[in-house]
Amino acid sequence: MRSAQNGDARAYSLLLAELLPMLRRIVGHKWRNTNNIEDIVQEILLSVHAVRHTYDSNRPFMPWLMTIANRRIADAARYNAGRAAHETTVDIMPETFSGDQPKSTQDLNENHDLLREAMSVLPESQREAIELMKLKELTLAETAKVTGKSIASLKVSVHRAIKAMRAHLEGKQ
Amino acid sequence: MDTEDLVRSLTGDLKPVRRLALPVWRAMGWFGLSLAFAAGAAYLVGLRHDLSDMFTDGRFIVEFAAILLTSLMAAAAAFCAGCPGRPLWERFAALPFLCLWVASVVFGCWQDWSRLGAAGMAITPDPICLPTLLAWSALPGAAIFVMVKRGAPLAPLSTTALAALAATALGAAAMRLTHATDANVMVLIWQVGSVALLTCAAMLFGRRILRWPEHPA
Repeated sequence: MRSAQNGDARAYSLLLAELLPMLRRIVGHKWRNTNNIEDIVQEILLSVHAVRHTYDSNRPFMPWLMTIANRRIADAARYNAGRAAHETTVDIMPETFSGDQPKSTQDLNENHDLLREAMSVLPESQREAIELMKLKELTLAETAKVTGKSIASLKVSVHRAIKAMRAHLEGKQ
Repeated sequence: MDTEDLVRSLTGDLKPVRRLALPVWRAMGWFGLSLAFAAGAAYLVGLRHDLSDMFTDGRFIVEFAAILLTSLMAAAAAFCAGCPGRPLWERFAALPFLCLWVASVVFGCWQDWSRLGAAGMAITPDPICLPTLLAWSALPGAAIFVMVKRGAPLAPLSTTALAALAATALGAAAMRLTHATDANVMVLIWQVGSVALLTCAAMLFGRRILRWPEHPA
């Protein structure tokens, strides 16, 4: 490292090459997630390179290196813990759409036939109220004007018509 | 990037680096210059009129020496904290002198209580104390923060706290030379309290101030 501080690239290259297997072993021993080992080893190498001027050649090298390695492993653990706190792990990603298939044209036609049949059993006054308010989408006031009936009477007619149609359709199933 | 490629890129364009001086020398350098600045500024601002009397008081001498030693040792500890592989106890080097400083002020409070009774413990607002301390500490503080940034950011919180303690303790020493405060309880609350407050505030910014370089040279 003393030579590396003086700019000896060959000595530095030898040193880092010798350190690599040891750093991998140390990180692997302290870090359970095997996917991140190389990332942390690279972080340690970058840190060693960035602060190589802090090495005192009168002191042993290994405590200097291990302090940096331990610090970077702790930083990685803190970063992971912070990220994990905002994430939820799921086995199967939830779908963003319903599993129900859209109705086919045939299904829609069958529904129209059933509704038409259910309406045919209604009394004339109730069928007229349903046609105007639910099919032609007139308001209560407009329907009252067309039929000459009161609003209260129309409400009762629609309510009874829907009840009768529902009973008819349920009887069909 | 592959790790072997990273090693090649780090070693490819290697330049010589200037080794960091020993923490003790860096601390002495910072302390010497900052002390000269504080003494000069105190002389220009005007020394307190009873300063010669104060230096005949043994308790005041102990307090003043403890403040200066707290500053020096906190600076040395801050520089040690930025050097990997140094023993952990070095970060607590300022603690005995800090305790001596606080104890000497507390002892002064007890002396005031014995001499004057409740009147010696009267606490009045002193809103100028914190900004004055900040002004005295600003330049030494800026200098020490520039210096600790040269080290490794191994313990950013304790490093910035120690650097702030060193600068504010020196500021407190300058205030003891210029600011005539008789009641020790006022010194304890407003001066020592301000030092504690600024030290804690600096600690909060530790991780922002001291970071690992993202693009090493």
